[in-house]
Amino acid sequence: MTFRMQTLGLAAFGGLLSTTALQAAENLNALIWCDHADAALLEPFEKAHDVRVNVKEYEGTAAGLTILEQSRPGDWDVMVIDGVDVARAAEAGFLAPLPEGAIDTSGTFREVALADAMTVDGKLYGVTEKYGYNTIAYNKAAVDPEDMKSLKSLWSGKYDGKIAIYDYYMPVLGIVGLAEGVDTADLDAAALDALRDPLMKLRAASRQVSDVVGSQTALATGEVDVLVGGGEWLTAVLNAENPDLDWTIPEEGGLVWTQSIAMVEGTEKPDLAVEFIKYILSPEGQARLATSSCYWGMPANKAAGEVLTDDQKSVLRWDEQEGYLARAQLYPVPDAETDTAMQDLWTDMLQN
Amino acid sequence: MRYLSWAYLAVMFGFILLPVAVLVVFSFQDGRLPVPPFNGPTTEWYAKVLGDRDLMAALGNSMLVALLSSAVALALGFLAAAGFAQTRLPGGALMRGLIIAPMTVSYLIIGLGLLQMFNWAGVRPSLMATGIGHVVINLPLCFAILSAAIGAPQKSALKAARDLGAGEAQVLLLILAPMIAPSLAAAFFLSFTFSWDEFIIAFLLTRFDVTLPVEIWSMLRSGLSPETNAVGSLVFLVSVLLVVTLELALFRKASK
Amino acid sequence: MSIERTEKRLGAGLAAPALLWTGAFFVLPFAAMVWMSLGHLEGRTVVPGPDLGTYARIFTDPSLYKGIRVSLEITATVTVLSVLLAWPLAWIIATRVPARWRRLALLLAVLPFWTSYVVRSYSWALVLGEKGVIMNALTGLGILAEPVQILATRAATVIGFTHFFVMLLTLTIYSNLVQLSPNYARAAEDLGASRWQVIRLVILPLTLPGVMTGAFLTFVLCIGDYITPQILGGNNELSLPQLIMLQLGRRGDYPLASGLSVVLMVMVTLAYAACARWLKMERV
Repeated sequence: MTFRMQTLGLAAFGGLLSTTALQAAENLNALIWCDHADAALLEPFEKAHDVRVNVKEYEGTAAGLTILEQSRPGDWDVMVIDGVDVARAAEAGFLAPLPEGAIDTSGTFREVALADAMTVDGKLYGVTEKYGYNTIAYNKAAVDPEDMKSLKSLWSGKYDGKIAIYDYYMPVLGIVGLAEGVDTADLDAAALDALRDPLMKLRAASRQVSDVVGSQTALATGEVDVLVGGGEWLTAVLNAENPDLDWTIPEEGGLVWTQSIAMVEGTEKPDLAVEFIKYILSPEGQARLATSSCYWGMPANKAAGEVLTDDQKSVLRWDEQEGYLARAQLYPVPDAETDTAMQDLWTDMLQN
Repeated sequence: MRYLSWAYLAVMFGFILLPVAVLVVFSFQDGRLPVPPFNGPTTEWYAKVLGDRDLMAALGNSMLVALLSSAVALALGFLAAAGFAQTRLPGGALMRGLIIAPMTVSYLIIGLGLLQMFNWAGVRPSLMATGIGHVVINLPLCFAILSAAIGAPQKSALKAARDLGAGEAQVLLLILAPMIAPSLAAAFFLSFTFSWDEFIIAFLLTRFDVTLPVEIWSMLRSGLSPETNAVGSLVFLVSVLLVVTLELALFRKASK
Repeated sequence: MSIERTEKRLGAGLAAPALLWTGAFFVLPFAAMVWMSLGHLEGRTVVPGPDLGTYARIFTDPSLYKGIRVSLEITATVTVLSVLLAWPLAWIIATRVPARWRRLALLLAVLPFWTSYVVRSYSWALVLGEKGVIMNALTGLGILAEPVQILATRAATVIGFTHFFVMLLTLTIYSNLVQLSPNYARAAEDLGASRWQVIRLVILPLTLPGVMTGAFLTFVLCIGDYITPQILGGNNELSLPQLIMLQLGRRGDYPLASGLSVVLMVMVTLAYAACARWLKMERV
């Protein structure tokens, strides 16, 4: 047996050495959301620049900033971060300003450019790369699409036990706020108190609070018919399996999420980092990012429209963006105290 | 009573084997959803798994961490077991207790403690850090198995060898190790298995290079796909082949 | 220098690397964690203690102390259920199955050990879903009119856990059973005991060490597991490990995560103390 183990070990070691040998001279370390882990997105850049892009996934800005805090300067070169959090992260010293004029943002959809939110003291710290909606996704074979035009249907009792909630506090609290007539911009500690009751009622009406896979499974298999917090990022990949899966933005509105790409303070490879950002924002990079294996989303750069196929565009609802963007609101931008209160409320909701 | 026994056996085997059977069947699912109805077989997902750069790298990483951490745990456990076999040590019970202690603690606690200590010491998360954690959980196991294997005959052989003037290294490597070779193999094999399948420590202590369970977890987090079934089935089939080979090899040896 | 002293020095020298390793990578990290639990988070920075605020929070915040209860309830249910299911299985394999098939039967009974742990939980999610194999079969055969929700409830978590621990307990109880001399049973039968009496009064008590070792391992592994409740429980209630990972992942609250881990550690230690008289950990 030991012999066999040795052989296995040697084989593994040999395999490892060969991958190390193949590794390029340079590394770019990226703290990302899962859509950036797609090899189809990274490989063209790696080949063109002879680098290896190391990625680490995270979820939620707080978790991302914790990772940065625990790292040393130079550990990270670029990061993907929630568009509305760029200024906060920049002010806390996590991000490096982008060199002036290096990045062309003229093609970005106006509503999601968020130029103000990404500029601190006249310096640009991030660029929007992708966006989409947190709203209601549903199975139109099981749900009356008319009902989905109003968020109030969720509390009507008609869909009790057939609702799933996406397990991310920020967008879902935003949606509950919209249902109660609170704009995301006004979501503060006081407003939050008023949301506790409707949130708990929504929880009582729903079957589960789950992550992406749990939500997809439940929706695709008919265990639930409505997903609060869902959108094209969740239904697009299932489109081929179950064309009845749909999503909409109700009258009260929905949330638009934006993700932006930024350079991390302390990077020792600012030039390479900028090259990577340029690649991600190029029409080809944008098209690959929009249709990445983890989740789909609208590319922020209109120029990606030339690269995407008509089918891809129709799944992304390219032509309807104007109307959607007009109705949707940006993510809430809570201060630290409100953020903690939101998370506490969310934990209470999960646990009760 | 007899029929009841067989019925119970059948029901329990059904319960135990059902999820694995479902896993394997739906790894051949033609379509994105690994749930009934079964749309007919395809090997598409296996091709995808084998062509997945990250997954294959994770496989290599797991192999490396499991081999090295098991080797270290085995070496430390062997030395300690030999040390305690020599003679009664002052405070021996306490020291034994200390070495055994990690076995009675949740992996989550060990992982979290190491994470904080490494953060504080400025050590970056890595496969090395994960390996260190795996030695912590496997050292007690190796120590316990090897201690149990060193009985009276081994002890007197050690004493005799020493009286005849053998050096300590000779005594350990040429006398003791061959005498307890089956236990050494068993301890190594068990450690390897635990390290290979360990999730939470690896999850907390890795960054870019991850082990297989962590890679599978992030696959699972990013979307529903029979690809997860295919990975699971492959790991399962390879492990079972290994176990059956071992079983046959040992069984044959035992019956000779 | 006497021979005995040389031997002592040598023995201590051989044990030293293992002791140092355990000290550096187990005792020290644990101490660091306890120290961390005595601090608290202000904004994004940890304020070192010592203060007991974290523990006060754990025992006054309903969401947190409910986690302790949830974990204990799940673990107790799983441990009892697994023992009850595994004992007869081990007994049947050890005594009813013909000797030449015994090893094969045992191998089959623990076969799923060899799938990846993460994948095993996931495959239960596929089995237990409303469109899963079980519900499909039950509704298809007309046994159930409507599928019943199992996935995303505590029942799913308990089933997933029990599946794993039945295998573990079957192993420990089986190895205990085969070590028993058949003479015990024969003697009892000669003295007029019925077959049930033999099992209940003779064999069962003699397998107590195997049962307790397995039950303790079940307790430790079950109460500290994050994967199974996370995949199968549907976030409808949070166990202690889930709460710990939530504190780490969502907001980097290390003091609270550490405090919860210390509570977890205390529970495991209490369980150990309760089972200690039957456990021979150093001889597994």
